[in-house]
Amino acid sequence: MDVNQLKSYIDDRPENGAFRVHRAVFSDPELFEMEQRYIFERTWQFLALESEIAHPNDFVTAWIGRTSVLVTRDLEGEVRAFVNVCRHKGAALCRGERGNAKYHVCAYHGWAYDTGGRNVYIKDGKQGCYAPAFDAEDHDLLPIARVGRYKGLVFGSLSAAVPPLEDFLGEIRFFIDLAMEQSPQGMEFIPGRANYFYRGNWKLQMDNGVDFYHLTSTHKSFLTVQERRRDGTAGNQDARQFDWSKRLSQDGGMFQFCHGHTVGWLNLAEVEKRPIYPSIGDIRKRVGDLRADWMLKLRNLVLFPNVQIADSTSLILRTFRPLAVDRTEMQLRCLAPIGEPPEQRAWRLRQFEDFFNASGLATPDDTVLYEDCQAGYAARPLQWLQGYARGLTTLEPGASALARSLGINPVSSLQGSYYVQNEAIFHPMYREWARLLECGLCGKESYP
Amino acid sequence: MSEARALLAAGEELLQREGVYLDEQRWDEWIALFALDCEYWVPTWTSDRALATDPQREMSHIYYANRQGLEDRIVRIRSGLSPASTPMPRTAHLVTAVLALEAPTPERLNLRSTWSSHVFFPRRRTSHTFFGYAHYEIARRENGWLIQRKKVVLQNDYIPSMLDFYCI
Repeated sequence: MDVNQLKSYIDDRPENGAFRVHRAVFSDPELFEMEQRYIFERTWQFLALESEIAHPNDFVTAWIGRTSVLVTRDLEGEVRAFVNVCRHKGAALCRGERGNAKYHVCAYHGWAYDTGGRNVYIKDGKQGCYAPAFDAEDHDLLPIARVGRYKGLVFGSLSAAVPPLEDFLGEIRFFIDLAMEQSPQGMEFIPGRANYFYRGNWKLQMDNGVDFYHLTSTHKSFLTVQERRRDGTAGNQDARQFDWSKRLSQDGGMFQFCHGHTVGWLNLAEVEKRPIYPSIGDIRKRVGDLRADWMLKLRNLVLFPNVQIADSTSLILRTFRPLAVDRTEMQLRCLAPIGEPPEQRAWRLRQFEDFFNASGLATPDDTVLYEDCQAGYAARPLQWLQGYARGLTTLEPGASALARSLGINPVSSLQGSYYVQNEAIFHPMYREWARLLECGLCGKESYP
Repeated sequence: MSEARALLAAGEELLQREGVYLDEQRWDEWIALFALDCEYWVPTWTSDRALATDPQREMSHIYYANRQGLEDRIVRIRSGLSPASTPMPRTAHLVTAVLALEAPTPERLNLRSTWSSHVFFPRRRTSHTFFGYAHYEIARRENGWLIQRKKVVLQNDYIPSMLDFYCI
């Protein structure tokens, strides 16, 4: 693919209020390899929570694009990350998802590594008649180029040419803090694996995670179920779910940030339905009224390219990983305050399962529609998608008064009634997508 | 037939009937097999080796402390407004290896079954087989046996797009 073809996939003319995305962005098979090389392998990627690897020799495994990564806390207490592959024959090394192990031993020929990645054992090495050329080689695990931590989140990058993590995240850190500072002890993932996959491009999930426009059509059946629960007798009352119809009369908006990050927000009518609400007094004392009030609002973040922190009902952290141009793996986690009282924890779980699970009452309706979209992208006469246009007349360049009151400096701001259901929220993601691919195709550094 | 065998046969018939009601989408008859205060639980796996053991502290695929959550799901299907349920996937449940986990009594059965469920998704023209095992606690009430507790273990927990109660 040459750069002209790439440029023909995004029609971005802010001076004319035009922003269009070509269907090929989701379906051109050439893009898979380019996205892996120039986006997933050249940006910071979420690996783990620090609380998952709290103690020496704790480990988790994660993915950066197609590379399996072993994340450990070494004996000195440092967070380390390595390519999770034995140096001998390239077998996947650690097959567990998490645990505590002093050594990681390859099941194939028994080479062993400590949690600092050092090769500590080559089976029958002395009798192996190895030539000096072999002894001169480094046999340790390959460290990944960068490891960074922010507010309990651990990120890694396969490329050394990334900005410092704090700069990469930029001003969206204000909203990350609102998720990660809900407990003085930090945040944790509630145990349980909720992995699924769909037959569609990864960017369908990227968009939908901040798509406000689909609620009243895609999730009509969810709204019907919630309506029936309102009198307090019918349905799953344990979820203490919101009256979602009340959201439609609220004001909200979005902020676009650097490096493709974006956030949508909405005032919530029933803040007492938040599982953190019983703790809000303590939270106010610790973080102040402004931040506490914002913790009670709906906030959906995309950390470009593939992390979503959503707090629309109970708080989640979602990552998604392209397996092919038309196949995506989802990893869904329930993010919760460490030390949360058991009653609030159970409530949080019921809210989470109600909406977000692949076996829940809302997410499956999203996922099958991604598959419908992917099927639709095979239609040759279809060229430009018209799903990136809402809200453009209310877009404010730079920081709005609201943004200034929060002390943040976004690329642009937007605010209005729920019904704006803006689609400008997608623009930074596609601008960054195109920028990174163009840098890759032109042989330029991504972050000069 | 010994009394124990007769009780086990009655329990097995209930399990088979449950599968048939799901396959034939006879939702009212299906939900009538459950006691109003039944617990319905599909735990997640917390790792490749371990299942969640406490729905109040660990994630579940589905957890309801009573039947009302299952009623929600039927409301959702019947609304005709759920894209994931329109057109309805078609299923074939195979329920086998029904064992009594404790000696059956005229009041209470504690059973384990192995199940697989073939699901055809008309929207995508694809099929998937979910499989696993289930524990049932079945109690005698005035009008016969009712499921008091059902725990479904999904052995292949890498879910293609979606999972609903009729898939398992």
